[in-house]
Amino acid sequence: MNILVVLRMIPDSAGELQLAEDGRAIDREWLDFQLNDFDDHALEEAILLKEAGGAKVMAVAIGEGAKRVLQMAAARGADEVVALQSEEDAMISSREIAASIAAMARARSVDLVLCGVQSSEDVFGQLAPYVGALLDCPHVSGTNRIVANGAMLRVTQERGAGVAVTYELATPAVLGVQTASKAPRYVSGSKLREASKTPIGRATPEPSGFERSAEIITLRLPVQGGSGEILGDNADTVADRLVGILAAKGLARN
Amino acid sequence: MKLIACTEGHSSKIEAFSLEMIAAARSLVEAGDEVVAFFAGAEADAASSLFGAADRLLVARASKSELIPAETYARLLRDVIDAEAPGLVLVPYSANGLDVAADIAARTGWPLISYVNEIKRDGDELTVVAQMYGGKILADCAVRLPAILMVNPGAFAEAAASPIDSAKVSMIDAEAVLAGGKVKMVDIDVPDYADVDLTKAERIVCVGRGIGDEASIDLARNLATLLGAEIAGSRPVVDNGWLPKLRQVGKSGQKVKPKLYLALGVSGAPEHLEGMSQADLIIAVNTDPKAPIFNVAHYGATCDLFDLVANLGDRLRAGSGR
Ligand SMILES: Cc1cc2nc3c(=O)[nH]c(=O)nc-3n(C[C@H](O)[C@H](O)[C@H](O)COP(=O)(O)OP(=O)(O)OC[C@H]3O[C@@H](n4cnc5c(N)ncnc54)[C@H](O)[C@@H]3O)c2cc1C
Ligand SMILES: Nc1ncnc2c1ncn2[C@@H]1O[C@H](COP(=O)(O)O)[C@@H](O)[C@H]1O
Repeated sequence: MNILVVLRMIPDSAGELQLAEDGRAIDREWLDFQLNDFDDHALEEAILLKEAGGAKVMAVAIGEGAKRVLQMAAARGADEVVALQSEEDAMISSREIAASIAAMARARSVDLVLCGVQSSEDVFGQLAPYVGALLDCPHVSGTNRIVANGAMLRVTQERGAGVAVTYELATPAVLGVQTASKAPRYVSGSKLREASKTPIGRATPEPSGFERSAEIITLRLPVQGGSGEILGDNADTVADRLVGILAAKGLARN
Repeated sequence: MKLIACTEGHSSKIEAFSLEMIAAARSLVEAGDEVVAFFAGAEADAASSLFGAADRLLVARASKSELIPAETYARLLRDVIDAEAPGLVLVPYSANGLDVAADIAARTGWPLISYVNEIKRDGDELTVVAQMYGGKILADCAVRLPAILMVNPGAFAEAAASPIDSAKVSMIDAEAVLAGGKVKMVDIDVPDYADVDLTKAERIVCVGRGIGDEASIDLARNLATLLGAEIAGSRPVVDNGWLPKLRQVGKSGQKVKPKLYLALGVSGAPEHLEGMSQADLIIAVNTDPKAPIFNVAHYGATCDLFDLVANLGDRLRAGSGR
């Protein structure tokens, strides 16, 4: 089985996000970029499938820091790693890159495309359904377990309230991974150093083929706070206040 | 113009966000417009008894009460779009909607905006507020119709539930599409709530990724015990195997409404807020003052969660004489 796994580098939204001067993007200059969490799970699922039944895994990374992440992917077991060129300092729109991923999948007779269920920059739509529709093959997002039996896949998808649904479908397919069957593995420093020698292929993007979805007029920060009260950053005084608040509401004792 | 509101339901239940989609469509009608609700599944009667706020209801009726895979739902919806030529299609941000919205966008070529909170319309131009970066940024977007919007659950108040006149309900013969789908449902697993049912808990202490590692969960668990609370976690905590799945709060976890919700190291991504923003009293501890959890918290603290757990634990132990 040929697996293509997509690794998108996205801004670390746990850090401070500032707006660019024109107000239409975030200022990427000082940002930390990290692998989209869900894509990390997609990578893990790809490697688990390889370990379970044999597969060739190609990892395709996009965005700032792609090289570092591809070395990590190689250390975790990817057989081939490719950096897809992207516009520098631009958000990674899944609508834009879907055609490139679909073209690579076609060119390499890929059986299974895996990517994260979403990224925080997917405001114009999610990658798995776009690629699935472009390849005209089945796609399912929000998976937390994938088992391959030859060309048949059993895929478990999360619904709300802890309900899980299992589907059967045949490859070729595109899956948007929510959670890998096992938590993503750590790789040792020595493995990473070894993998740093892995040659990194390059791919140039295809034109998107879609019309521009919509236009971002401005970005802004949500108005903070609402009616909430901020108690500050001193744990001692915060604890005092909370004890008082809980007591007043009859919630301090069990 | 026709506006299609996509609705959902399975296992004899209609999803609450269905009425929100109808309300969102209703809020955008101009003279001569029509709100058409689309439902696919076996629950045709339940849909008819609730969707009176729509002008018409189209039901792609399944004979069995099964969960329709998104690709089949999308296929059925596409036929509806071909037949009705709507100007706007509203899809909920749900497990199903995630797959349906972009599939339809790809196959129609129409624009799509996801994670939508607000919509304003002026003829065939919309201005839309969408969330990005885990809710830390709002994007004001302009889009020209026809278009697809994937709307956040909770962003619009539900339309009033009322039965729809049977003359306004049309059944679509869906059997061929349902039978021909390439994705087959083989199993549905509904959890056993016997061990823990967070939806009934009065007090919840929820830990997020800020807790750092599995060993530290015990610190929060001890605090939960002192407060008589259930311990819960955000998605990454559960994904890491630090807490069982039934203790996850949010979009794919439980929707809770306790008297007390203490969130420790939870950023407050929209998918988390969907599960807890209705709690009576929300207290959030997060070192990042810009964390979106503070937008719904009644009380917020920006101290280190470990310091707070230690300090609050000491006081509660002293108070209870333990
Ligand atoms: C389809 C779908 C369904 C989803 N369903 C759910 C769901 O059901 N539930 C859910 O929770 N998520 C869900 N998510 C994931 C969601 O988007 C977020 O990724 C997740 O909620 C983030 O969890 P977190 O807040 O724990 O982690 P993070 O976003 O990483 O936040 C950790 C926070 O901890 C703070 N912190 C770190 N150290 C400390 C410290 N020492 N003291 C105090 N604060 C600290 C940081 O400032 C940060 O804000 C879903 C996503 C998708 C796509
Ligand atoms: N939503 C959908 N889900 C799955 N397959 C589809 C969908 N829409 C179209 N197709 C397939 O795409 C191809 C072209 O469809 P059409 O343009 O409707 O003739 C056919 O093979 C259809 O079966």
